[in-house]
Amino acid sequence: MTHLSDGALRRHVDEPDGLPDVELDHLQHCERCSRALAQAQRDGMAVEAALLSKSDKDVDIDAAWDRLLSSLHSNARTVATVTVDRPSFRARVLKAPVLAASGALLVVGGATAAAANDWLPIFHTESITPVSVNLNDLTQLPDLSSFGRWDVKTDPKLVDVPDASAATSQTGLTVSTPTDLPTGVDGTPQFQVMQKQVATFAFSERKAAAAAHAAGGSLPPMPPGLDGAVLRLDLGPAVVQTWSQQGGAPTMIIGQVVAPSASSNGIPLATLRDALLSLPGLPDDVAAELRAATGDGTTLPLPVPADQYTTTSAEVSGTPATVLTSRDQTIAGVVWLDGGVVTIVAGPLDAQEVLSVADGLA
Amino acid sequence: MARNAGGLVMHPELESIFRAQYPAVVAVARRVLRFEADAEDVAQEVFVSFARSAVPAAEARAWLTVAATHTALNVLRSRRRRVAREVSVAESQESPDAAVQVIEKAEQQRVRDALANLPHKQAVVLVLRYSGLSYADIAETTQLSPSSVGTTLRRAELALRKELSDDPSV
Repeated sequence: MTHLSDGALRRHVDEPDGLPDVELDHLQHCERCSRALAQAQRDGMAVEAALLSKSDKDVDIDAAWDRLLSSLHSNARTVATVTVDRPSFRARVLKAPVLAASGALLVVGGATAAAANDWLPIFHTESITPVSVNLNDLTQLPDLSSFGRWDVKTDPKLVDVPDASAATSQTGLTVSTPTDLPTGVDGTPQFQVMQKQVATFAFSERKAAAAAHAAGGSLPPMPPGLDGAVLRLDLGPAVVQTWSQQGGAPTMIIGQVVAPSASSNGIPLATLRDALLSLPGLPDDVAAELRAATGDGTTLPLPVPADQYTTTSAEVSGTPATVLTSRDQTIAGVVWLDGGVVTIVAGPLDAQEVLSVADGLA
Repeated sequence: MARNAGGLVMHPELESIFRAQYPAVVAVARRVLRFEADAEDVAQEVFVSFARSAVPAAEARAWLTVAATHTALNVLRSRRRRVAREVSVAESQESPDAAVQVIEKAEQQRVRDALANLPHKQAVVLVLRYSGLSYADIAETTQLSPSSVGTTLRRAELALRKELSDDPSV
């Protein structure tokens, strides 16, 4: 068999039972892997010593507890954030900011129309604009479940399909494929599709007031007609192409999704947007930026963690696009809207590489 | 969620989890930031978020460790430039008798600078591992596969050693 990877050897240092028997057997008989394992052990010990965390005094837990209670009482007067029905540690830690952003930002994503008895289109995406946020802002966003009821009508999951033609037949989207691949990206991509997603959000003034009261705050005055107003949000379908290394790590992703739209059965979306932006929990500067960015009912705000990514403007085949680059220069992506479809090209690449792929999509 | 005597909504097991985990959370932050006061500030911020959450008690330790790691690394990166300026000013004002302390501080600062220079995911994996999380827990919280955790950790250690290559203690 081939020699053990650096990752497998490193894990063996900490978790000796983690290797399969065949790799364990190889390790016991391979001088090269044994030397690499010994080096990994030495490096691990050296780094552990460098990062040694020691203190010359014990923490005063009672004093720390009093300080925490004081902070919580102080914050409760200004932040009415309540979290409910959060499904798992993984979802909470990894996905909550994304869900909070997409849910809240879709709802606040624009508005113009008047009330009507039937579903009335009140938002459709004609452009995308980045909105700077940081992760703390996102985790402070009010959970919309505290202010009404979400009802997701469909199953938001990606399903594997064999190729581009199958993806097209299941979604109706014309799959864009790259003419050239960047260095380090090769092979055949995995194709996945997501069907159109539909969700409704029914605002409840009673629930919102209870949430604010329970958190020690009070609900700002809500506009007439808001209680019971229902929004319908549509997103997709979507196609995702993923290129991966042999070990499974993605090297490039191309995603296409029919841009989101919103409709209402009883209230202008602007009214709901302004009401949501007035609720406690969202920093004033982020609320102001969202209000300014979404005023025309056609601009989709793209939340960008400002402490992790920078954004620049570019063009993809003559269409305005936003380029995102991680501050550590390890990840880049470009996103643009064309013909009602949002497309993103991203991966552990640089900005020029993702733009080159985007320009070459056929 | 439960409400205390003051009408405050908080995690139902907050106090017991706080008393059991607070020293460990401070230790995670101290590993990144070195200074006790900074570490306690981070721990307080983490527990304020935890208090408002509904994280199951069984998942609290991992949740708190991850939160402390991210928060401390963010603080480290944001404070790096300011600290560098302060060290520079302090060095210019120190007397020769304090030379040893200055050198020790400088070495500690180099470790933190090296940590701050690592790609974020590598730094997170490194701190989580040396804070005692298993590969499975790290994989769960970083969306890496367990084998990729080992690879990322190895790269982080090599990068850290390279950054500190002329430091005889490493």
